[in-house]
Amino acid sequence: MASRSPSTPPHRDGLSRRGFIGRTGAVVAGTAAASAPLDTARAAPQSAPAQQGENLVAVALTVNGRSVRLMADPRWTLLDTLRERLSLTGTKKGCDRGQCGACTVHVEGRRVLSCLTLTASVDGEHVTTVEGLSDGEHLHPMQRAFIAHDGFQCGYCTSGQIMSAVALVGEGHADTDDDIKEYMSGNICRCGAYPFIRDAIKDAREEMR
Amino acid sequence: MTSVGTDVDRVDGPEKTTGRARYSADRVLPDMAYAHVVLSTIGKGRIRAMNTDAAAGAPGVLRVYTPFQPLKLYPPPPGYGETYAVLQDRDIRFRGQVIGLVVARTFEQAREAAALVTTEYDAQQPSTSLAAGSPGVTAPDQGQGAPPAKFAVLAPGVTSIDQALAASEVTVQGTYTQGSQHHVAMEPHATVAVWQDGHLTAYCGAQMPQVHAVSLAAQLGVEADRVRVLSPYVGGAFGSRVATWPDIALASAAALDLDRPVKLVLAREQVFTMVGHRPAVSQTVRLGASADGVLNAVSHKSDVAMPMPTVGSWVMVPAQDTSGALYKTPNLAIDQRVVPLDMPPTWAMRGPNEAPGGFAIETAMDELAVSLRMDPLRLRLRNYATTAAGTGRPWSSKHLRECYETGAERFGWSSRPRSGTVDGQWLVGTGMATAIYPAARFPAAVRVRFRDDGTAVVASATADIGTGAVTLLSICGSDALGIPLSRVEPRLGDSALPPGAPAVGSAGAGSTAPVIRSAAQAAITALIDLAVTHPDSPFYGMTADQVRYHDGYLDAGAGRSMGFARLLKLTGTAGVEATANGGPGPEAGQYAFHSFGAHFCEVRGNRFTGEPRVSRFTTVVDIGTVVNAQATRSQIVGSVIFGIGHALLEVDPLEDSGRLAAGNLGDYLVPVNADIPDIDVHWLDIPDTVYSPFGARGVGELATVGSAAAIGNAIHDATGIRVRDLPITLDKLLG
Repeated sequence: MASRSPSTPPHRDGLSRRGFIGRTGAVVAGTAAASAPLDTARAAPQSAPAQQGENLVAVALTVNGRSVRLMADPRWTLLDTLRERLSLTGTKKGCDRGQCGACTVHVEGRRVLSCLTLTASVDGEHVTTVEGLSDGEHLHPMQRAFIAHDGFQCGYCTSGQIMSAVALVGEGHADTDDDIKEYMSGNICRCGAYPFIRDAIKDAREEMR
Repeated sequence: MTSVGTDVDRVDGPEKTTGRARYSADRVLPDMAYAHVVLSTIGKGRIRAMNTDAAAGAPGVLRVYTPFQPLKLYPPPPGYGETYAVLQDRDIRFRGQVIGLVVARTFEQAREAAALVTTEYDAQQPSTSLAAGSPGVTAPDQGQGAPPAKFAVLAPGVTSIDQALAASEVTVQGTYTQGSQHHVAMEPHATVAVWQDGHLTAYCGAQMPQVHAVSLAAQLGVEADRVRVLSPYVGGAFGSRVATWPDIALASAAALDLDRPVKLVLAREQVFTMVGHRPAVSQTVRLGASADGVLNAVSHKSDVAMPMPTVGSWVMVPAQDTSGALYKTPNLAIDQRVVPLDMPPTWAMRGPNEAPGGFAIETAMDELAVSLRMDPLRLRLRNYATTAAGTGRPWSSKHLRECYETGAERFGWSSRPRSGTVDGQWLVGTGMATAIYPAARFPAAVRVRFRDDGTAVVASATADIGTGAVTLLSICGSDALGIPLSRVEPRLGDSALPPGAPAVGSAGAGSTAPVIRSAAQAAITALIDLAVTHPDSPFYGMTADQVRYHDGYLDAGAGRSMGFARLLKLTGTAGVEATANGGPGPEAGQYAFHSFGAHFCEVRGNRFTGEPRVSRFTTVVDIGTVVNAQATRSQIVGSVIFGIGHALLEVDPLEDSGRLAAGNLGDYLVPVNADIPDIDVHWLDIPDTVYSPFGARGVGELATVGSAAAIGNAIHDATGIRVRDLPITLDKLLG
């Protein structure tokens, strides 16, 4: 009961825990040598509030297609950077320890838990959040399908559900009901929209192909 | 063409699916500081000393508050939360109590500094055992016309329930237990507090924004009109956002003290002890019946864990609206008791009394059916009640029989597999149970405003905690005004709006819908009044009864018709509005009010591992008028899933130390997608016009009740094992 497959599924390019730790260390070591602080106000398209913290490291990443350069406290998770520094609050914090999936975003096209991803570890990478899925008022097929099938109630887990669902189709894990159930089980929905989330994924996958 | 009763997409769907919806913690304000709470690590005692030097000297830290350097706070008004104010004394009442608050420039700095605070305690041994404390004392009176916690209704000549049971041809008795459970709303409790010129705006999740504002003002020691609570989006609640827990007042007081906005988001682990939970409960049900299944006696006793009076809580009374109302019986005894323990605060959680109570009585009924070798559905029909056993009142509307019949038909109950059917490695069984939930109606005020752009605002200080309340305002507004949904702007989640129905007790929709109609009618009257009294109006000089309103137009016949936007523009009027109030009337004392339902399910138990899996579920409910079919379906499915968690997954053991042992989402298991089959739901859609002229009773919690029993009954049918202690985990099936 309560199968808890990780939100990042066993997948050929998935971030394993070991890979994650090794990569984080390398990136922090590499960027700590950067000298002059970057002009975040000019470089960051989203007017990030004044950056504060300690032992700051320079990080450059692409978020929703826009380049962002900032001086990051090494403790900053990608989740807190998105929410508190870039005002991209669509990505939610549900547990802050990788147990609920609410913080799911895409890094280089793969779904990851942004609460377990240090900002410094995604230096140079492309990040997509729920805000980057839609094109203005033109919603992504998965977003439209979630609305049409009522794949949410309170809406708090929805960003993570949708980001997982979009990745699921790309992974080839949206072909059968059993696959959808299993590979969506890293995203908790306490309101209990699970059957409707499945309906939405089955609907949107056709349009996404 | 009304959209009432049809499938309507949530009007906040685009906001919620694009990340634009802003929940409490989504406010990022200039100069905002971040707070983190420090919690007690013993279950009972007193703080001897705290060392905050390291925390205060840590980078970025602005202030460290403790009982030695407190923020001044007062307890919430009685019934609004806990009975004490945090940081005002050194007493430790439970493990996980707030003993400190650290505020820093960044979230990371606040969290790290909070971990640097050290505390010395004079510890005492907490009292944490429900079993050791049972039997408890009779639960406090619930007030407001509620039945007493202990009562009996006995047939003439019968002197006690024990005598009635002894005189019955067949008796069954079961003791049903469950541990602590948690709401686990996906949004951790969060506050962003901003003061300006002596007035506070608090962004925080609230099931009743005005009550939050009043309580928060009391905790801060300021007049209520200085506090505004904004709660437009709430990331789930399930009862955890009724009371005002200490985090909101802490953030608000710190923001005042530091003269800058403060954000306080509880860590998930902190949510487990700070915002109330459903306590452990032990229930004993005894049933006496004739050999052909006619009930003669129903006895339901409960012992509920509750925090000490020095903490305060909501009190569970699981029997009165379940065994007290479900079946026809000449002899009924209810005895609901509480056992005070040194534990974190408790609060109502979805189906607060009825989900535990329903598990007990509906499992006992199944045990009786097994003992009688009778179809459990037939047993329920044989004891069908037409008046509530406890009060003797007739129901405002009751169509439970149709729920049973329709559900049995949809599920295929008559052709269900026989007990213990084997399918490969699975044992297959079926079970059923009844759902019941009281239909409260609360006073509510709604304001309807016509605007000169052709739209109308429907506003009420209720809350949308995922129920679809904001969409309901649109649907009912559109229906009452005869204009499209797109021309209605719904507003809620703001304590400054007219006093709305609380989003509690599944009564938000039922309480609000009829008043929207009244408010719309009052606004139409005001609009017509403007039309006939304003010199620039083409209807000027007519009498009010010569002008009719329909579908957004004023019409005086003979082609004299005009949309309200045009009238408002012609008369230079920005808007015309009216506010209406509504609530329960004299019918409240004359009838019993409940919603009903029937659950049927199939469960598979693994022959080798014991693993139980729900494979089919059908629920049919009688809830009166349905406003939004889509949201109703979602609520029923969500309630059943809540019941699946109740039955198979959820428990947080309270250890001898006073520690709730499973306080995170890896150890406290809630259902995930793979646990949930497709769920078949149906509703009867029969208006209850005694409850309200609109006829909608509400649906949010009903299907949580009885679903755990239906699953347990199916597991018994599959495996022959009767598990009376929830959750039904595989170890209990590996006899």
